[in-house]
Amino acid sequence: MADQAQLQPVRGRRGRRNLLEVIVLAVTLALIPGFATLGNLKVILSNSASLVMLSCGMAVVIISRGLDLSIVAEMVAGATTFSILIGAGVAAPVALLLTVAVMIMLGFLNGWLIAYVEIPAMLATLASAMLITGLFRFGILRGEYLLLLPKTDPAVVFLSGNVFPGLTVPVALMGATLLATWVLLNLSAAGHTVYAMGDNFQAARLTGLPVRRVTIVVYVFAALTALLAGLVTSAASGTVDFRTVTNGTLLFEVILVAVLGGIPLRGGRGGLRNIVIGIALIAVLRNGMTLLNFTAQTQDVLKGLVLVTAIVADNYFNPRDIETDTVGDL
Amino acid sequence: MVHITGNKLRRLAATIVAGACVALGFGGSAQAGSDIAGKKVIFVPISMGISLTEGWARRMKEHAAVYGYSFDIRDAAFNTGAMSELLAKAISEKPDVLVVHNPTVQLLARQIKQAESQGIKVLQLNLQSNQPSNAFVGANWTRIGNDIAEDIVKECGAGSGKSGKVAIIPGQLTAADSVMMNDAAFKVFKEHPEINVVSNQASDWEPEKARQITATVLQQNPDLCAIFGHWDVHTIGAGNAVKDAGLEDKVLVYATGGGDTVTCKAIEDKVLDRVWSYDADGQGRDAATVVDLLLQGAQSSDGSMLTVESPLKIIKAGPDYDPSLCWKM
Repeated sequence: MADQAQLQPVRGRRGRRNLLEVIVLAVTLALIPGFATLGNLKVILSNSASLVMLSCGMAVVIISRGLDLSIVAEMVAGATTFSILIGAGVAAPVALLLTVAVMIMLGFLNGWLIAYVEIPAMLATLASAMLITGLFRFGILRGEYLLLLPKTDPAVVFLSGNVFPGLTVPVALMGATLLATWVLLNLSAAGHTVYAMGDNFQAARLTGLPVRRVTIVVYVFAALTALLAGLVTSAASGTVDFRTVTNGTLLFEVILVAVLGGIPLRGGRGGLRNIVIGIALIAVLRNGMTLLNFTAQTQDVLKGLVLVTAIVADNYFNPRDIETDTVGDL
Repeated sequence: MVHITGNKLRRLAATIVAGACVALGFGGSAQAGSDIAGKKVIFVPISMGISLTEGWARRMKEHAAVYGYSFDIRDAAFNTGAMSELLAKAISEKPDVLVVHNPTVQLLARQIKQAESQGIKVLQLNLQSNQPSNAFVGANWTRIGNDIAEDIVKECGAGSGKSGKVAIIPGQLTAADSVMMNDAAFKVFKEHPEINVVSNQASDWEPEKARQITATVLQQNPDLCAIFGHWDVHTIGAGNAVKDAGLEDKVLVYATGGGDTVTCKAIEDKVLDRVWSYDADGQGRDAATVVDLLLQGAQSSDGSMLTVESPLKIIKAGPDYDPSLCWKM
C-alpha cells in the first residue's frame, strides 16, 4: 500500500506531462498553415519511417539500461552492404539475407563487448560506431562516402513503392517494426528480462536471469531495426550517405525521441506508447519547422532546447535511485 | 622568378598556361620541372571520396609527378574539427604551397593568414574563405547564382503561366558557394516580385535531408515551379522527392556541380533538369597549373589574389541534352 501511495503522484505527473505534450501538438497543428492536411500527414509518416525504426531499437536498448551510439553507423553499414550486393547482381532476397547476417554480427559484437567484456555500453558502442564507419567507408567503399542507388533497380523500386494504394512500403515496415518491438517487450521472456535489467541490473543478474544473452538479443534487435531504417532511407533518397554518421544529427534525434517520449535514460521503464509519443513530437517539430521555413541552424537550436528541457523533466519525473545506480550509468 | 603583372590572372591566361603545360609537361621535358622539383605541396580537402576532390587531386598529382615535386593529401573526411587540425599540422610542416578547400567562409581564415605569414603560399580551391590568399581557382558563384535565378525567372516568372514558387536548398548557409549564390539569386528575385521563394533551408549537403525538405515543401506547395539546389549531390535527394511525387515534368530541378558522369546520369533519370557545371576536371588542371606557377614564385604585382575563374558548362535535360559535357573519372 505504501508503495502504491508513493507511485500515485508520479503517475499523476506523468499524466500531466502527456497532456502537456498533446496540447503542444494541438497548438502546432492549429498555428501552421498546411499542417493539418491528409497529404501532410502522409509526408510526416514517410519522413519519420526511418526515425521510428531506429527509435524502436534504441528504446529497447535504453530500457535495458544501455545505449547504442553505433545505431546510425549500423544503419549506413546495412544499407551499404545491401546496395553493394544488389549492385553486384546478387538477387535481392539473397542480398537481404546476407545483409541480415552482417547486421546480426554487428549487433552481436556490441552485445558481446557489453555483456561479456563488460565495457560500459556508451564506450563500447562509441568504439564500434567508429570501427564500423571506418571499416565500411575506407575498407569497403575505398574512401567513397556516397553510394548512389539506381531508382530503376527492382529492390529500390520495391522499397520506395506501395504495398497497396495509400500504404507505402516504408510506412508498412515502420508498422511492422513497432509491432515487433511491442511483441519483444510485452510478450517475450526476453522483454521481461529487459525491464528487470533496466530496473535493477544487479538484482536481475543475481536472481539468475540470462542478462548476458538478453543483452546480445537487445543489441542484435537494434542492429536489425537499423538495417530496416537504412534500406528505407537509401531507397527513398537514392543514396547511401556516410555523412549521416559523421556529420548528421540523426543519432541526436533518436535519443531525443526516447527522452521526449518519457523513457528514462537509466532504463527499466517505457514502452511502445512512449516511442510513439516521442516520435509524434519530433516528427511534428521537424515538419512544422520545415513548413515555417526555419533555417537548419535554428532547427538545431530549437531541438537542442527541447532535448535539454526533456532531460530536466526526465530528472524531475524519474529521480535517480542511488541504491540501484552503478558506476558507468548515464 | 615568374612575375605576373595585373590585378587578376583570369581564365584566358590560365587556359594558355594550362595548354602550354600540357604541351610541354606531359612530354616530360618541361622547363619548369628543373626549378620546382623537390618542393612540397599539401592539399587539404573537405573530403576525398567525391568526384570533385578526386578529380582535382588526379590532375594535381599528374603535374607533381611530371615536375618532380611532392603532393600530399590530408583528408578531413567532412569533419571540420579534423580539418583545422590537419591544416595546423600541414602548416607546421612548412610546405611550399598549401591547397585548401574551405567548408565555410570563416573556418580556416585565421590559419590561411597564419600560413601566409610564415611564407607558405596558399591556393584556395573552388570555395573561398573571407581571408584572401595568394591564389584562388574556382567557380564564380555570383555569376552562377545570377544565371540560375535569371533562368528560373524565365521559366517561372511573369508570362510563364507558372506559380512563380521557388524552393532553394543550400548546402550550408555559411559555405562560400551558398552565401554568394543566395545573394546573387535574391538580387535577381527582388526585381521580380512574381517569384516567391517558399523555402530556403540548408540540407547540410545530405541528399536525405534535401529529400525530406522537398517532400514537405511539395506537400505545402504542389504548384512549386522550381528547386534551386546548391550542389548536385544533395539535390539528387530533392530530385528523387519530386520524382516520387510524380511531379518531374512540372517542377524544374536546378543544381550546380563538378559535372562528372553521375550528373549526366541524374539528368537522364529525370532526377535533375539543369546543372551549371564548373567542370571539376578542368578545375583540377587549372589548379595544378597555378600550383606550378606559385612554386615558381608567381604573384600579382600588387599582392592581391590571383584568380582563375572556372568556365561553366550548362547541362540541360531535353532536346539539347549533351552527355559529352560530363567528364569521367
